[in-house]
Amino acid sequence: MIFLTVGTQFPFDRLVKAADRAIEAGKLDEEICAQVGDSSYRPRCFEAVSHMEKHLFDECVHKASAIIGHAGMGTITTALDQDKPLLVMPRLRKYREAVNDHQLAIARKFEKLGHILVAYDAEELPAKIEALKSFVPRKRKAQPGQVTERISRFLDGLSGSENGPTKSRDLSSMD
Amino acid sequence: MKRKRDTLRVCLAASAGGHITQLLRLSESWKGYEVFCVTTTAVVTKKLGDYARVYVVGECNREHPLRVLRVLVKCMTVAFGERPDVVISTGAAAGCIMCFLCKLCGAKVIWLDSITNVEKMSLSGRMVRRIADLCLVQWPELVEKYNGVEYKGSVI
Repeated sequence: MIFLTVGTQFPFDRLVKAADRAIEAGKLDEEICAQVGDSSYRPRCFEAVSHMEKHLFDECVHKASAIIGHAGMGTITTALDQDKPLLVMPRLRKYREAVNDHQLAIARKFEKLGHILVAYDAEELPAKIEALKSFVPRKRKAQPGQVTERISRFLDGLSGSENGPTKSRDLSSMD
Repeated sequence: MKRKRDTLRVCLAASAGGHITQLLRLSESWKGYEVFCVTTTAVVTKKLGDYARVYVVGECNREHPLRVLRVLVKCMTVAFGERPDVVISTGAAAGCIMCFLCKLCGAKVIWLDSITNVEKMSLSGRMVRRIADLCLVQWPELVEKYNGVEYKGSVI
């Protein structure tokens, strides 16, 4: 099963339509599970829901052999965490699909690092769907440890304890 | 006016999706403190089930000024009602609003700019940077572009 997900904040008709066309053209013979947000385009080749409860979403990700989505960080993170091959199409500001082109920037960066595949426009999608079938994403090693440690140190400094949270601190003396 | 508390009250503020995902990766850092959450859609409240209080303020972005206003009013109720000691946010608009409001209430502000901002900091991040007490970015090249920001690695 292929999971198609476009996030929830803005519609993303361009991707839903391109995926629909690709399937119509016989590019994908797998079953599709789709979450399309407020997109107004109604796909002809697969069923789609606008929003999904978290557990249903997780289930779709878990069952999917590959994911096609917008280049939202939630989608990218989910795919990387579960080693799912991911093909993204970045939302673009010029089509009013996002407030800026940050999806384009992150898609380029992660594509370069070998983590994801990117279709930069609808025309590229069918070829990239073909590539997705054999794509093996490079694992990403995140290092949240140091970030966590930095924030932890800051918070402990505020609470006046070097060893973490205190239970008997009077914060009125803080400022 | 500050009330006496036993421990720091920490506000976690982030939009649903990638923003909240990134914020929750830092969960080790606020262990033991009193925490409440502010997010944008009810869909993620289950994900935040471990936290006692979750406020859903609605989605907004700069393209819809009226929605921003509505979210602003909701955020005001939360910020002035809870009066946190610290706010930690990864954005976007709602997180940014919470940072400014909590700062007004005397809170310290910790900003972690989302990993999606590769070439420049987010608009929210660039605004919050001015008032942040700790401002972190997730790409090393951004440190050279902005004064006072730190890079300690990425959470994704």
